[in-house]
Amino acid sequence: MKKSVKTLFLAAAAISLLTTGCSGSPAPDTQAPADGKTYTIGIGQFAAHGSLDNCREGFLLGLAEEGIVEGENLTVLYENSQADGGIASQIITNFASQKVDLICGIATPMAQTAYGVGRKQNIPVIYTAVTDPVAAELANADGTPVGEITGTSDKLPVTEQLQMIRTILPDAKTIGIMYTTSEVNSLSTVQEYKDAAGDYGFEIVDVGISTTADVPLAADSLLEKVDCVTNLTDNTVVASLPVILDKAAKKNIPVFGSEIEQVKIGCLAAMGLDYIDLGKQTGRMAAAVLKGEKKASEMNFEVIQEASFCGNTKVAENLGITIPDDLMASVKELFTEIEQ
Amino acid sequence: MTLLLGVLEEGLIYAVMALGVYITYKILDFPDLSVDSTFPLGAALTASALLAGVNPALTLFFSFAAGALAGCATGLIHVKLKVRDLLSGIIVMTGLYSLNLRIAGGRANVPVFTQDTIFENPFLADHVPGGLAPYAAVLILLLITAVCKVLLDLYLNTRSGYLLRAVGDNESLVTSLAKDKGTVKIVGLAIANGFSSLAGSVYCQHKGFFEISVGTGTIVIGLASVIIGIQLLCPENGVSFLTRLGLPHVRPTTAVIVGSIVYKACISLAISMGMEANDLKLITSLLFLVILVVSTERRKKVKPHA
Repeated sequence: MKKSVKTLFLAAAAISLLTTGCSGSPAPDTQAPADGKTYTIGIGQFAAHGSLDNCREGFLLGLAEEGIVEGENLTVLYENSQADGGIASQIITNFASQKVDLICGIATPMAQTAYGVGRKQNIPVIYTAVTDPVAAELANADGTPVGEITGTSDKLPVTEQLQMIRTILPDAKTIGIMYTTSEVNSLSTVQEYKDAAGDYGFEIVDVGISTTADVPLAADSLLEKVDCVTNLTDNTVVASLPVILDKAAKKNIPVFGSEIEQVKIGCLAAMGLDYIDLGKQTGRMAAAVLKGEKKASEMNFEVIQEASFCGNTKVAENLGITIPDDLMASVKELFTEIEQ
Repeated sequence: MTLLLGVLEEGLIYAVMALGVYITYKILDFPDLSVDSTFPLGAALTASALLAGVNPALTLFFSFAAGALAGCATGLIHVKLKVRDLLSGIIVMTGLYSLNLRIAGGRANVPVFTQDTIFENPFLADHVPGGLAPYAAVLILLLITAVCKVLLDLYLNTRSGYLLRAVGDNESLVTSLAKDKGTVKIVGLAIANGFSSLAGSVYCQHKGFFEISVGTGTIVIGLASVIIGIQLLCPENGVSFLTRLGLPHVRPTTAVIVGSIVYKACISLAISMGMEANDLKLITSLLFLVILVVSTERRKKVKPHA
């Protein structure tokens, strides 16, 4: 008997030992700011991932722009579920039990979990990095929220990207896209590309993969058939992007990115998202809810207001391509070398 | 209070799956990894069925049946094709991943927020008094778990159930009774994966969506629940702190359910103690290791005298 009780204590002790050493959520802030109101929010992030981290950073910046500053009048509880659905729901339940004023769910599964719990506890939810809030049943078909939940979508600016590719490559006919068949967001984006490509005189050649291991072979087959490649925000493909870039460079085929980080590592250019901006936009929405100016249910979900152009001159030089001046004029960020 | 309810809800959902792992790991001594895919199987099937307008309660039975089929597949691969136990589970787990995506209509994420579920339907809305509403989910889960537990207890006391226990303890005994131990193993795996799939169905209805990643680590939760529960409430030497206190002996199935709740409570405790988010997986695995080490220590002490 003593042993079995000891087992539990051992386990409990192990946890407490491990956890006390780590920096954790700060104790609720007591110092009152000018307007005397303090807020506590819970940020649940589905996975550790560059773009999602940028969303969170931007979110806090957006809140700060509205005068809600972490450490002053805002306490932030942040948890990451490491792509584990079971942990995600425990994280959200934990937020709910601490009576947070608002939950921010980053990426689709976390947003859905937050809504599942939040609607029972009357806690408003703000989401970001949800590509298709309608398909995720977080918004109605007309963009209105399904409950006390709203946020921003990281839907790619597909037509702007096609326009940009046409400007840089006036003679190209086919665009290749690689995507993972199990990623919902990629499927819908590929469809969108196919629908819009005709307007710009392109044909889309797509290739689906199921795991990282499929990338090299799929890339070889894709590069045989296309004039250029455009990349989505597909997690598996993005993680293997260097492989595709390497193969494409050898064949002198340009690869376009979908966000700034991809251009940094060797995509020619992107008319894409800046996740920090997306996060800021989300943060401002959250501020409106916290201050009581608007309810989450009164705001439609938003998409990024403008696509931002970024390019890589080193890649352009390698490919023997010059980026047209009118694009260069609107450049948000220009890289002159390829970051390894 | 919310936290307690949350832990109970999570614990009870996974308890059903843990009952399945109890059958394979503890009774059959079969390391069955297929639960990692039968859990999302139930969730995928449920999401699709709910969208097709199937009664939420019926999806529980469909899920159990589908899981049982998958369990049979693991069993057949192991028994008939003579593939090693661990590998049979891995084969089924890998194959089912694709199948689960197919069942979910090619989508990795299927929301069912707007559908009626066993937790949210017009009947409950009409019949549950307002004061009881926050506890409705826990009560429904308690009912499902209790029914599964009682049925399993009853089954283990049938002739077939005795054979199941015999296969794990002493295979030759089963053969000497002129029974095929392979068939018994297949039956055990079918029931175990049926429970896992049923738990997946409940999970999907509770959370309001299916996501292909929900199965990741199911086996870890299952094993942890079984080991914690058994160690705590009915250890192999038969003397738990309950018996010392003069309380009645509990069945292993009850212990497993308690184990699942304790495990989820530990995770919840770790989260609310404000641990670094990125360390969560490490903590889970360390917790698991600690429990395993303590349990092997015990086995060493008991076996020489057995």
